[in-house]
Amino acid sequence: MKRIVVDPINRIEGHLRVEIKVDEATGKVEDALSSGTAWRGIELVLKDRDPRDAWMFAQRICGVCTTVHALGCLRAVEDALGIEIPKNANYIRNIIAASQAVHDHTVHFYHLHALDWVSPVAALKADPAATAALQNTVLEKYSLKFEGPIGFATSAYPKEFPKATTAYFREIQNKVKAIVESGQLGIFAGHYWDHPDYNVLPPEAHLMAVSHYLNMLDRQREIVIPHVIFGGKNPHPHYIVGGMPCSISMNDMNAPINTERLALVDTSVNLSIDLVNNFYIPDLLVIGDLFVKAGYVDGGGLAGQRVLSFGDFPEDKYSGTSNGDYFKNLLIRSNGVVENFAGGVDKAKFYPLEGKDLSDPNVLAEGVDHAWYTYTEKGKDLHPWSGVTNPQYTEPKEGTKTNWKYLNEDGKYSWVKTPKHNGKMAEVGPLAKYIIVYTKVKQGIIGQPTWAEKMIVDQIDAVSKLLNLPPEKWLLSTVGRTAARALDAQLHAYISKYFLDKLINSIKAGDTTVANTAYWNPSSWPKEAKGVGLHEAPRGGLSHWVTIKNGKIDNYQAIVPSTWNACPRDDKAGHGAYEASMIETKVKIAEKPLEILRVIHSFDPCLACATHLYDSTGKEIAIVRTDPYL
Amino acid sequence: MEKRDTLWELFQKKNISRRDFLKTCVALTSIMGLSTDLLPQVIEAAEKKPLLPVIWLHGHECTGCDESFIRSQSPLTSDLVLNMIALEYMDVLAAAAGEPLEHHLEETIAKYNGQYLLIFEGAVPEAENGIYCMVGGKPIIETLKHVAKGAAAIIENGSCAAWGGIQAARPNPTKSVSVSEIISGKPIIKVPGCPPIPEVLTGTVMHYVLFGQLPPVDNQGRPKQFFGNRIHDTCYRRPFFDSGMFVEKFDDMGSKAGWCLYKVGCRGPEAYNSCGNMRWWNGMSYPIQSGAPCVACASKNFWDNDPFYERLPNIPVPNTIADADKVGAVLAGVTTAGVVAHGIASYVQHKMHQSKAEKELADSDEHKPEPGQNE
Repeated sequence: MKRIVVDPINRIEGHLRVEIKVDEATGKVEDALSSGTAWRGIELVLKDRDPRDAWMFAQRICGVCTTVHALGCLRAVEDALGIEIPKNANYIRNIIAASQAVHDHTVHFYHLHALDWVSPVAALKADPAATAALQNTVLEKYSLKFEGPIGFATSAYPKEFPKATTAYFREIQNKVKAIVESGQLGIFAGHYWDHPDYNVLPPEAHLMAVSHYLNMLDRQREIVIPHVIFGGKNPHPHYIVGGMPCSISMNDMNAPINTERLALVDTSVNLSIDLVNNFYIPDLLVIGDLFVKAGYVDGGGLAGQRVLSFGDFPEDKYSGTSNGDYFKNLLIRSNGVVENFAGGVDKAKFYPLEGKDLSDPNVLAEGVDHAWYTYTEKGKDLHPWSGVTNPQYTEPKEGTKTNWKYLNEDGKYSWVKTPKHNGKMAEVGPLAKYIIVYTKVKQGIIGQPTWAEKMIVDQIDAVSKLLNLPPEKWLLSTVGRTAARALDAQLHAYISKYFLDKLINSIKAGDTTVANTAYWNPSSWPKEAKGVGLHEAPRGGLSHWVTIKNGKIDNYQAIVPSTWNACPRDDKAGHGAYEASMIETKVKIAEKPLEILRVIHSFDPCLACATHLYDSTGKEIAIVRTDPYL
Repeated sequence: MEKRDTLWELFQKKNISRRDFLKTCVALTSIMGLSTDLLPQVIEAAEKKPLLPVIWLHGHECTGCDESFIRSQSPLTSDLVLNMIALEYMDVLAAAAGEPLEHHLEETIAKYNGQYLLIFEGAVPEAENGIYCMVGGKPIIETLKHVAKGAAAIIENGSCAAWGGIQAARPNPTKSVSVSEIISGKPIIKVPGCPPIPEVLTGTVMHYVLFGQLPPVDNQGRPKQFFGNRIHDTCYRRPFFDSGMFVEKFDDMGSKAGWCLYKVGCRGPEAYNSCGNMRWWNGMSYPIQSGAPCVACASKNFWDNDPFYERLPNIPVPNTIADADKVGAVLAGVTTAGVVAHGIASYVQHKMHQSKAEKELADSDEHKPEPGQNE
């Protein structure tokens, strides 16, 4: 038995460490530990701030999933204060969120995940002519011909298509060769490129993928243009409580939003559709197909047992979240939990999640048994509205407090808390959302699917047909988790278009309102209020929880997707999603745990999101306060 | 150590034509706001200066600055990362993880001792010996000190590295500080912003690559070419301020007409940044253009200058559309703190470059220069 540490985990947001115990003879992972190794205290910083400013602070929880925490926060504050946003603001926020999902998944696949599957070194052995032929085959065989409803068909022809010429691939190959031979490998330095898993794909697939890595690095910035138009910048675009600050006018030359601005958004949305359909989906499917054919269907972990989602994209106005109205007109009604998808969709069990569940302390709660915090009552989990957290940093198993050898899996070992649904842990993310919608539609729980729900089911069925496997055999794996992201990107590219059409139709009908300022003044607020904001973010179900007292924030908590997935174990409930998936993954060479990097990256970890703290009792944290600003 | 390649040598090695090389030089000259007369010097610098090894570390941060970095159009991030610098350590993009990555870091430090550029993103938590940010099993504050020792120069990337940022906002639970509060005796430059505009960071890196030294800085250690003016001075909505035409509340008539956002909290009058001139996505927009008041995200301690929708204090503003000269005269007559002092400081900067008056005004209205910054 060998204990292997991977720290830092690269190509993620934030600071993550994993440790695994591997049986070297069989490659079986006997135990695995996931630790969030940094904590910033954003929620503590939020205390006593103006609730109208909170989204700016919350947004800085993460710059990779930028905007999602702003949205979660705005929805929580608006829920607390009873503010209903205008429909145009809802459409604009949905376009921002959907373009974020397309961007986030695209950058994840090409720049944070691809190098677990493909290698620039292996690309050197490719035949450029054969690569061009492969590119053509891939476009023919591995494209998914789905599209959402398109009201205003503004794109005359696909503007972005992969190049499939011998000369192009030869040029790319020459450049890769020059980099490798220069000895200055930069971001490609130090990796175990000799790992046998880099032989699963033919050299031509490596060369094709490496060239798309470069193409997408140059084009990804254009996917988030809606953020720049509606929110002024990216990362961290601007909003306001009550709606959006980007007023619409067709009567003023200097309006934030007019026809020219909408055209910029439209061009970006059309481009996103092209990039996903012509690059991302075919690349993902050919790599996935070859890995599945080579027998790589492990890494499912917790997903086969329990997945959770909140659902998203209010079609139109809604009056609040904690009153349940949020769930009533969603485009994707994935709110709920599915257990036992591993037994097939017929045997899977669906449990709904509704408005009343949000305030029930028995339904959603967080525990700290193995996290570096203490609760006053040991072993009792707490609902986020009444979350109490005191940091308690402890020694590692081996090493010192400032020089770790091994963390202590029997004690506390992470800054990530352990969230639970009805006392159980669950995986979240695109995979979870896809499993839940698929189960609800196939079991008739959703009688009349929306176009988006239908697309989810059709996408899964199409990939099952392509791989010639039932959904539970391929979805519940590292490949499946990564594939669900690509399908989700295709879906979101059309969701952007869908809400842009809605926005244009609304303006056409004479409505240009983007903000409800009736409750802007704090004197209009109740003395005490609490709210919750939900968002189905690119990494999964996100919830922000706020209590407001006398016009200031009194308590702030966020249970984010990476909290659900990266959390440490629970003595009663078992392992979180990262740990469970690592335990289900076979490792060929203990010192070169490429399979572990691949399965962890399939979650697209976001650790600054996951680690958080707020002490609602207002107790001082035991540190020396020498802040020069105070 | 082997001699490092120049940018031109590297272009040759990678079979990139002289023509492309010269085109790159033209683009760089314009990005850095240099006169085209200086093009021959830029070309000469690119031919002679060795390629720069870069080590990029992360402390307490949100990775928004990395995301901004990869959004750069001129130069394209792919060109920068693959052809112009040797980005030897950057865990967000690196292929390698864990021990091999940490090993490569040590190799790079040893091989390029005294020659690499250190880009540090995020704040440095000092509390409890740095245990609030552990990377590779060690506090990041230790790694920072270790890597900084052999650095030729250091960039504090983003408002967290430059000022402590959001985690340093009250009550600063982890006692987070800027890099230059930990490291001294090295050339350090601040590239603040939450995040910085993509081309502001890549432009600063390119300046160092081409000229072999950090660009000229202001009294707070920021590159003058990107932080020399207030957004208020370069804002396309400035004429509405001067004419007294304001957004009174969000989505009102003024908001639709794109009038000045000062009354709903805009920090443009005290924000030094390139949003007004360069804007985001090469001129596409910036928060004010999209109707949102600036929060001065590149300013020291801006997080504690809240609530953000309360207007900056004590600035008399004309409440009617008045003659521009008259408004100007009213403004010139007011010498209280805040916007007006900033305005004068800015004016004096133009007229009496580096004079005593400028220093006094700048000191009185913002922050004292910090020790250890290069000039």
